[in-house]
Amino acid sequence: MSSWAERNPVRPNSIQPGPGHGPAEARLAVRAAGLTKLYRNPWTLRVTRGLEDLDLELERGEVMGYVGPNGAGKTTTLKLLTGLHKPTRGEAWIFGQPVGSIASRRRVGFLPEQPYFYDYLTGREYLELAGRLSGLSGREAGARAARWLGRVSLAGVERRRLRKYSKGMLQRLGLAATLIHEPELLILDEPMSGLDPLGRREVRDLLLEQRQRGVTVLFSSHILPDVEMLCDRVAILLSGRLTRVTRVSDLVDAGPQRVEIRCEGRPLLQVPPRIAPLIERVEHPGETALVLRAAERLNEVLEWLIGSGVRIRAVTPQRASLEELYIEAAQASGENGNPERRMA
Amino acid sequence: MNTLLIARNTFREATRDRVLAGVLAAGLVLLAATQVLSPLALGEGRRLTVDLGLSGVSILGLMVVLLVGTSLVAKELERRTIFNLLSRPIARSSYLVGKWLGLSSALWVLAGFMSLALCLVLATHGAGSFAPGVAEAAYLTGLELMVVTALAVLFSALSTPVLSALYTLGFYLVGQWSYDLRSFGEHLPTVAGRLVGMIADLAPNLPLFNARAIAAGGHLTSLHHLGFATLYALLYAGCVLSLATAAFESRDFK
Repeated sequence: MSSWAERNPVRPNSIQPGPGHGPAEARLAVRAAGLTKLYRNPWTLRVTRGLEDLDLELERGEVMGYVGPNGAGKTTTLKLLTGLHKPTRGEAWIFGQPVGSIASRRRVGFLPEQPYFYDYLTGREYLELAGRLSGLSGREAGARAARWLGRVSLAGVERRRLRKYSKGMLQRLGLAATLIHEPELLILDEPMSGLDPLGRREVRDLLLEQRQRGVTVLFSSHILPDVEMLCDRVAILLSGRLTRVTRVSDLVDAGPQRVEIRCEGRPLLQVPPRIAPLIERVEHPGETALVLRAAERLNEVLEWLIGSGVRIRAVTPQRASLEELYIEAAQASGENGNPERRMA
Repeated sequence: MNTLLIARNTFREATRDRVLAGVLAAGLVLLAATQVLSPLALGEGRRLTVDLGLSGVSILGLMVVLLVGTSLVAKELERRTIFNLLSRPIARSSYLVGKWLGLSSALWVLAGFMSLALCLVLATHGAGSFAPGVAEAAYLTGLELMVVTALAVLFSALSTPVLSALYTLGFYLVGQWSYDLRSFGEHLPTVAGRLVGMIADLAPNLPLFNARAIAAGGHLTSLHHLGFATLYALLYAGCVLSLATAAFESRDFK
């Protein structure tokens, strides 16, 4: 059986660099052409690759998940797009404005990974500062700060200094600060990391709301089910190189199709040799699950089970998760989650 | 506009920091100590009070610069709070100038508060006539602290808090002795002499801001001197901040 990576080879890059005012720029929120970041150790002069020749287009209103193991270059990309890093080579534009320019950051909201805040400020003061630095008037920043504090369930602690906030509260405040000026592009680095399930759900709901508003979102995450749930497209980055950009639905359709058959009790079954390699048996309290790895053989398996006197409780198709596909891609490229950056 | 917002935030940071409150308390203790020592000064009690009080403003201000100013940018880099600012539509130069302006404002408040306390002490001893001289000397000390703060911002943008404190202190000391250093250089062989002269020229001319002896004598400095010192402080700080911006502009924030 061919691997997922073999069935989905890397698309040849066709993006041409150029100034940011053509018809493509009206359609695109983010465009990167040959974007490269190399890090040179000033003492050893050793060069490591943060990101290499990234060609990426993100359409307006699209939600893109950016996945890859630690050290793959996800944060480097996001920092290059927000002007916090300077590219070694290549160019990128946000709404047609070259990254690094002040204009390119006007319509962007950025949430860094594990955001840190001025702990001497109160929640309200911080949001007002964030709003004003993003171009809002004092009155508007005040009104929006009050609204967002309520929206992220921090209204009761708005006068408390940030040093007394919990990690989850800080993450929610960071998200509110990212959204306070209603940006058209959200760039979020691991927005759900360190959050409890309730916090994750809250962030997910906020992102879904922004998606409905037509906001473009680019976010990195290790939590692949969230990426699968929220994104239109996913970009997989391995060792500083973009390995794949594709629609989440295409990825899942391209993956193996499975069916789970739940049966009553623990029947003693002699699986016919012709289907034995396709079936995996899992025992649960009071029932047995048979996972069929070839959905097209379902009728044959059901006939055999009914013929054997087994009482069937449920038949559930199972989609391949993005996680499985991602791991397959990583293994195919020899990455195996290796956190070390490759030498350039 | 953004510069002023960052300045306001830095001012808030400095005034909510315990260092400033501690320094202010130390200043008031120093002022109280002058009252204990002045009867022993054989009729020079007022001079001693003015001299020690104004020296206190300068030294304690320098302490705030070394303790707060030298970690002003480095702390933001270390704690990564800078990501939340510079990912917004803010120029890096605005950020640095805002930081400088904010801490300088806090230092002006400190200098103003301590010199006001000094004037009140003098007034209770019937020496209110010293007040204008004290105000002038405090103004010049404020300018001196602005210059040293600009150096602290420059070093803080380039290195760790400890190193930037050492560099700032080094420049401060060389600046205080720049006249002596220049005279010393004249007695050295050509190359070494030029080198020492160059160092003295690069360091800020801090004796320009020292009017403590004049104020202690009950005299005033000239308006021309005040104007020249103001212009010099703004130009020197401007040059240092331009250098800091140039170095900061190409920096990656990890």
